[in-house]
Amino acid sequence: MRWPGLAVRLAARNLRRRPGEALLLLLTLTIATGVLGVAMSLYGSAEEPWNRVWRVTNGFHVSFTVYHPPDEPGDHALVAALRRRATQLTRAPGVVAAGGPWSHLYGSIRIADGTEDLTAEVRDPRPSEVDQPLVTSGRWLGQGGGVVLESGLAATLRARAGDTVTIQGRQFPVRGVAQTVSRGRFPLSRPAQVWVTPETARQLRDLGMIEEGFELQLRLAQPSTAAAFVAAHQALEAVPSSSSIVPYLETWQQRRSESHSDIDILAGTLFAAGTLIGILTVATASVLIASRMAAQIRQVGTLKAVGVTPRQVMVVLLVEHLTIAAGATAAGLGVGRLLGPRIAATSVTLLGRPQPPPLTVTRVAIVAAVAVAVVLLGTVRPALRGIRQSTLRSLAAGPRPPRRPGRLAGLTTRAGIPLPGVLGLRSAWRRPGRLLTNATGLALGVAMIVVALALRDSLELLELRPAEPGHAASDAAVAVLYDQIRAIILGTAGLLLVLATINAWIVATFAARDAARNQAVLRAVGATPRQTVIALIVSQLAACTIAVALGIPLGLGLWNLMEGGDLPEANLSATSLGLLAAAVPVVFAVIVNVPARLLARQPVAPLLAYE
Amino acid sequence: MSTVLEARGLVRRYPGDGSPVRAVDGVDLVVEAGEAVSVMGPSGCGKSTLLHLLGGLERPDAGELYLGGARVDGLSETRWAVFRRRNVGFVFQAFYLVDELTAVENVELPALLVGVPRRAARRRAMELLERLGVAARAGHLPDHLSGGEQQRVAVARALINQPLVLLADEPTGNLDSRATGDILRLFGELGQAGQALVTVTHDARVASTADRLLTMRDGAIMAQTRLGAGTSVAGLLASLAELGGER
Repeated sequence: MRWPGLAVRLAARNLRRRPGEALLLLLTLTIATGVLGVAMSLYGSAEEPWNRVWRVTNGFHVSFTVYHPPDEPGDHALVAALRRRATQLTRAPGVVAAGGPWSHLYGSIRIADGTEDLTAEVRDPRPSEVDQPLVTSGRWLGQGGGVVLESGLAATLRARAGDTVTIQGRQFPVRGVAQTVSRGRFPLSRPAQVWVTPETARQLRDLGMIEEGFELQLRLAQPSTAAAFVAAHQALEAVPSSSSIVPYLETWQQRRSESHSDIDILAGTLFAAGTLIGILTVATASVLIASRMAAQIRQVGTLKAVGVTPRQVMVVLLVEHLTIAAGATAAGLGVGRLLGPRIAATSVTLLGRPQPPPLTVTRVAIVAAVAVAVVLLGTVRPALRGIRQSTLRSLAAGPRPPRRPGRLAGLTTRAGIPLPGVLGLRSAWRRPGRLLTNATGLALGVAMIVVALALRDSLELLELRPAEPGHAASDAAVAVLYDQIRAIILGTAGLLLVLATINAWIVATFAARDAARNQAVLRAVGATPRQTVIALIVSQLAACTIAVALGIPLGLGLWNLMEGGDLPEANLSATSLGLLAAAVPVVFAVIVNVPARLLARQPVAPLLAYE
Repeated sequence: MSTVLEARGLVRRYPGDGSPVRAVDGVDLVVEAGEAVSVMGPSGCGKSTLLHLLGGLERPDAGELYLGGARVDGLSETRWAVFRRRNVGFVFQAFYLVDELTAVENVELPALLVGVPRRAARRRAMELLERLGVAARAGHLPDHLSGGEQQRVAVARALINQPLVLLADEPTGNLDSRATGDILRLFGELGQAGQALVTVTHDARVASTADRLLTMRDGAIMAQTRLGAGTSVAGLLASLAELGGER
């Protein structure tokens, strides 16, 4: 058989021989790739529905908006000048069509038991060349007055054509409901929006609504030149620094990326969570791979003994673990495709059904990179160790014996510690490499718990965030978003705890497996099973103590990196951290106790022959 | 002489292709205090398994086992361990020293387990290492000891609690002739102290030092030969040939 075929066959056989460990590694990696996969599916899933409405409404390429706070005395001369310049802009080179400028009036609309800020856009009833809103029910503006509701506002009010709404304390008939891309959907995007004719606008002004600016929308001959067009007309945005008037130019791409901030926040939170889980998965995967490797060292020795080169041995190991990484990538992307649209569908900003973006090479590569990086980081060190050590030593297999007695280990005798404790401590100190490996694995587990606790505290702060008076409807929408973020945070915290537990279980199981022969020897010379269990627990608690000392600052550091942006800042109290430092060794002792007891139940002779 | 160890109809089966394999098949054995017994037989005949059964490292599927007059085949793992630490010493072919303990720490371990004060245990351990010629290596970890040194440390560990019976599996398999002589001398002193010795070996020279030779085949004891004080290796080999046993 040719070498590549043999490598694949050996790798496949290794996977089949230890299916439980392979599945555990696959599960661990899939937790990371799955979260990233969902984030990937979520990112951009609102773009296609947005594009559809943009195309149907002949949406803008460049928008020029002038806003001035309604409660501040405006500089009418400046606004008038900006309006003139806006009109000139419609004749700028490259512009093929224009809509507006449309005046915006500021007022309020009654929603449930409160009121919400409202913008009424004043439109000529005739169809506009640019951004003619897509009527989803009823009719567009026309004779007889009334208002057309933006679809998000209509959904919040549960209003349809023929109903009435209360604006500035007076009831107006609803002519229709329409969608547009020039505004985000209410209630996440505020203020609420209605379209009115100039005639209705006069009534609204009489009811106290006041000017708050205008908007001009342009279509260009070359949509791709929108950013350049904005850059070329940047001077329009210049106003005296003392003025409260805000003129700004915007491209359609900018408006689209801001139109579904809730989905972006969710995707961003998931992406941060996925990355964090990915980093922390390295620890779990490393311990798993290292333990798989330990079991395969004899095979490495055999391969080397029959003339396979170290590089070829490395290929076998990489094929085996990269196969698992490929499985985790596929599973993660599949989970993403399945869950992403369902999460996106709960968004209040969507202009239709969400559509996950196509699986591009880049997107697949990002998810695969996490799985492959984790596997490579986990494989290289133990693989190199197996390859470098002598063939004879590899054939002998078993854990590498300690090389130096160490003074510290000798001192344990004089410290008056009971014999099982002494045995455990000596075992720990005389294998500093193993001690540090286990401590590192556990430290990442402790870091996961710290991050989970910080996430939980952050969640509590999120719940304490006060509602804004008079914005019941939009607060309700924001509450939906917060609920989703909470679910993600709790899910992430849960996954981190699951990973930490898997990690601790793996460390404990393989520590017990490593110690099997020595435990059997101890029993052969008269140590009771209970004494060997205590010795093993003590040896592992040494690693756990180091892990707590390293893991807490590491977790706080990771949290600081992850925090920022969308999550409230949470500071874990010294008491929480103290309790964590006390609880982790206890919990870990309970976990180690399980494989240690299982080991102690077995008869001695087979364990002596274990290696 | 009093009986130290008695096995009645000991059976140990392992799963095989189809029917289970009887590694030890109805062994009856009585060992008196101060007696040295050697067990010989071809590889895979069940010698080591028998030794493990006698020391409680494996459980028999059938039969009875008495040590120091007490029935022990039904003891729990814990009670076996406590019983073993005082009454049974083991020497394994693969030494089985605890990797993380130095030579002297390995030797003193059984003494500490029975409650001997640390200093006394250390003193006794050093004396034994001295007698076996490895006192200079007392502070070294097993990985830094040669095979012969490790075996001598293992013998010292087995003897530190002056057990009723010493069970030795190829105790001189890794030793040169001088070290073998040291160990056989030490074993010879066991009888004078009333301690029994059961040795599994392929080495006719070691077997010839025993009081009795058992020959095993297919899990059963095929023959027992009482060896006189002056039994030579050549004489033993002749006896074995008569019995049809293998060395």
